[in-house]
Amino acid sequence: MMLRLPLAVACFSLALASPATTWAAPSDGGHNAHRHTVNSFWGVSLEEFEYRYSDSDDEVAVWDGDAFFGSDELKFRWIFSGEWEEAHDAFESLENQFVVQTPISDFFDAKAGVRIDTPEGPDRVYGVLGINGLAPYWFEVDSNLYVSDEGDASIDLDAEYELLLTNRLILSASLDVLVALSSDREIGLGKGLSSTETGLRLGYDLIDRSFSPYLGIVHERKYGDTADIARTSGGSKEDWFAVVGARLMF
Amino acid sequence: MSIKFRMLVGAMALALTGGVYAAGEHGGHHGSGGNGAGEPGDASDVSRTVEVVMYDNYYEPENISVESGETVRFKVWNDGALVHEFNIGSAEMHEAHQQEMQMMVEHGVLKGDHIDHDMMNMDMGDGHSMKHDDPNSVLLEPGESAEIIWTFTEASDLEFACNVPGHYQAGMYGDIEFK
Amino acid sequence: MGKYWSSLILALALPVWGQAEEYNLSVDRVMIDTGGFVKEGIGYNGASPGPVLRFKEGEEVTINVTNNLDEMTSIHWHGLILPFEQDGVPGISFPGIPPGETFTYRFPVVQNGTYWYHSHSGFQEPAGAYGAIIIDAEGREPYRYDREYVVQLTDKHPHSGDRILRNLKMSADYYNRQQQTVGDFWRESSEQGFLATLRDRMMWGDMRMMKADIEDVQGFTGLINGKGPEQNWTGTFEPGDRVRLRFINSSAMTYFDVRIPGLKMTVVQADGNNVQPVTVDEFRIGVAETYDVIVHIRDAKAFTLFAESMGRSGYARGTLAPEEGMTAEVPELREAPLLTMADMAGHMDHGDMDHSSMEGMDHSDMEGMDHSSMESMDHSSMEGMDHSAMESQGNPDPFYAPGSGLVPAAANGGKFLSYADLKAQKPLYEEREPTREIELRLTGNMERYIWSINGIKYEDAEPIRLQYGERVRFKFVNETMMTHPMHLHGMWSILDVGEGKWNPIKHVISVAPATTVYMETEVDAPGEWAFHCHLAYHHAAGMFRKIIVEGGPDESVKSLTKAAEAQDGGES
Repeated sequence: MMLRLPLAVACFSLALASPATTWAAPSDGGHNAHRHTVNSFWGVSLEEFEYRYSDSDDEVAVWDGDAFFGSDELKFRWIFSGEWEEAHDAFESLENQFVVQTPISDFFDAKAGVRIDTPEGPDRVYGVLGINGLAPYWFEVDSNLYVSDEGDASIDLDAEYELLLTNRLILSASLDVLVALSSDREIGLGKGLSSTETGLRLGYDLIDRSFSPYLGIVHERKYGDTADIARTSGGSKEDWFAVVGARLMF
Repeated sequence: MSIKFRMLVGAMALALTGGVYAAGEHGGHHGSGGNGAGEPGDASDVSRTVEVVMYDNYYEPENISVESGETVRFKVWNDGALVHEFNIGSAEMHEAHQQEMQMMVEHGVLKGDHIDHDMMNMDMGDGHSMKHDDPNSVLLEPGESAEIIWTFTEASDLEFACNVPGHYQAGMYGDIEFK
Repeated sequence: MGKYWSSLILALALPVWGQAEEYNLSVDRVMIDTGGFVKEGIGYNGASPGPVLRFKEGEEVTINVTNNLDEMTSIHWHGLILPFEQDGVPGISFPGIPPGETFTYRFPVVQNGTYWYHSHSGFQEPAGAYGAIIIDAEGREPYRYDREYVVQLTDKHPHSGDRILRNLKMSADYYNRQQQTVGDFWRESSEQGFLATLRDRMMWGDMRMMKADIEDVQGFTGLINGKGPEQNWTGTFEPGDRVRLRFINSSAMTYFDVRIPGLKMTVVQADGNNVQPVTVDEFRIGVAETYDVIVHIRDAKAFTLFAESMGRSGYARGTLAPEEGMTAEVPELREAPLLTMADMAGHMDHGDMDHSSMEGMDHSDMEGMDHSSMESMDHSSMEGMDHSAMESQGNPDPFYAPGSGLVPAAANGGKFLSYADLKAQKPLYEEREPTREIELRLTGNMERYIWSINGIKYEDAEPIRLQYGERVRFKFVNETMMTHPMHLHGMWSILDVGEGKWNPIKHVISVAPATTVYMETEVDAPGEWAFHCHLAYHHAAGMFRKIIVEGGPDESVKSLTKAAEAQDGGES
């Protein structure tokens, strides 16, 4: 029942953001040969597509990416991420978000939609409201408010900064912060600052920007109640990973 | 002093002073130094008249035949919309003169379709001016015409040319052939 | 006998009297080999570039265009004055040419000079669908030269146009490999101090703008007449020749700085219209512009024809030599320019950036202009910028913002052509006061790769309506950081360089960042016309307008206009 509200929000924002003139699929059957301007695009990218080796010998496959289709004014975006633990042959996390996205300023977009988590363990469905864009000084930021079908709310904030060592050798630093506004013990989430993930990846643009292999380190940490819950279930409060992977963009 | 020499001096002075026009005013007579272009002729010696029409960036005719020692009257019309010159000399002389003409443009003496005569005659501070009155050339506004009487003292490589900046390079020149 | 003579006379007279010449062009899939890569593309009569079409002023031409592609196509006769139905813009002049069909263009040739043709459909032009047009004058050419060559430049990219635009939409800096790096930071720090460099980076970072944002699409190979630098297009000459080079920039995105080390070039024509000859060492050719130059070559040796891209990310190279196979030294690419705060000014402060002092082109006035316009900016955040460079240089070219990083300089320290040097050889129209002024702000969002006019993209914009017989003064205000070559179809663009009736007549007006440029148009062509930035991906992203010329002497035009409107309505 709680699911309906965020979905309604998403649909409402879709209606608001869709002026009739701007949302038009290609009118000539898919090729662009007969238009002055091009109004719709698609793209797929995987920011993270990597294998992680932890300091406690765990191995995890991780991906985080998105695919979109749409115009300057309105995009449909599928955001997908997951962590597959080798030791348990199980998804530690598995998220799929379906959002619509529309510009709200020169550099920022608003998003609204639904997030469906189906990892090993209890599933959750969330309504999502978020913004993402480019903050001053070239920080890519993405922040979302999630409200689950259990009625629990959480906020995440991701920030990324790219340092160009050369025009192809790029060091990217990332920080993801998760704050729970209420606890959801069933999925291991305690109220308050819940967890952070900090990453440092050194990548090289091998083929344009479509294939950029990288090496890096990632630090995951849980805080407060979330850390306590993890400890009781035999998990760790803090993990260090060495990562190897590639950034992909099509 | 020969034209060539004076122009050389002019070019040198130009280079030295970095922008003061130092030649161009016609002091005495030319031709005694054997530069090959010839010398101002006397009306009584004229054997024939050649009519030359200047259009925007070309002459008609583009070839003129003369005999060594011949004195020719050139009647020159400017039928174009821009200022043009008719100047008899060697390629080197034209090249030197082009630098002087460039100065005239830079100082606003020479506009596209007219000549600022006041400014041209103005004393530039050291007794020099940008007067354009060498006897081997005429500089005409659109619609103007003029005459030159010229004696071709000896056979040499000569061209008649318009040294308004860019015009010669774009092909506004004609050949003087010695029979 | 009499009959015989009259028919002979008729036969002799015909070529002079506007004979209807017929040309055939097929639009074909071709392979394009740049010497660096081979890519499938589109060409004419089996090759890219297509054949040089040589028309004669005064004749009526018939051109049969057969579409051998599996998609719609079109040919636009760039710079030609013709009835709008012949202009070749799908959805505006005509529906386009469907696959397998032949469309017959027919129009009188009313001008002379160097022009070009290209597809106006999708990204067929970047794919190779372009060629040169030479129109011989009815009378004699006003210049003397011994031989002539077309030098058609392009920026061939290994990616398809669709893919390039998609990549730019995903990431506007996708192709920019000239961004400032950590190494640049340290280098600059050691020269200008750490804090000054940091402040500079913070200032640009605060605005999320890049100094290196000069060429959107890098990674191309510059071609001359279809040949890459290694394939070395060569034009031969006899020592002593005057050679006319007809430069055409058919690039999708790239401005070139052109020079021939060792030779001076006398510019005699711009965009097909003769200009008062001006001798230069180097010139910048905007996308879709043409320049004709005459070079006088005295020495029997090879000369490199070198066209560096404005952002120095690539180049085209050819050779002029007494015989094929000879080469001359190929210069190194010069250091890439960087934008300055001056280039940003239009973006930062729209309202105050009326460069009205450019109207009269009074150079002394320009001095005051940068200060007044910069005053409104936040000075505290400008500490890092080089004030001295802005002020001491005076104003080398009034068609760039004072202090702009894009102001060109000749490689040999000599003369670099400016728009201010262009003066018409012969005024085409009586000089008169414009009947009205239309302001067009060139706008965009670089990060999103959205390009527009007055903040509105093509698909959301109303057409611009002009009345037949008026003389419109267009005011371009460039509020972006990119240079836009604005192309009006069907009618001449008279560029205001402050020379009154001698203002040059063009078909592309390049507008540098943070500048205001004026052009006037005699509205003498009824019908519907395209008006757009000629950078392929700016045009496709929305920097495009339809112009409707209402009224006019020809009643039949109205019905055609309606037909075109119905067609256009069906499109969208």
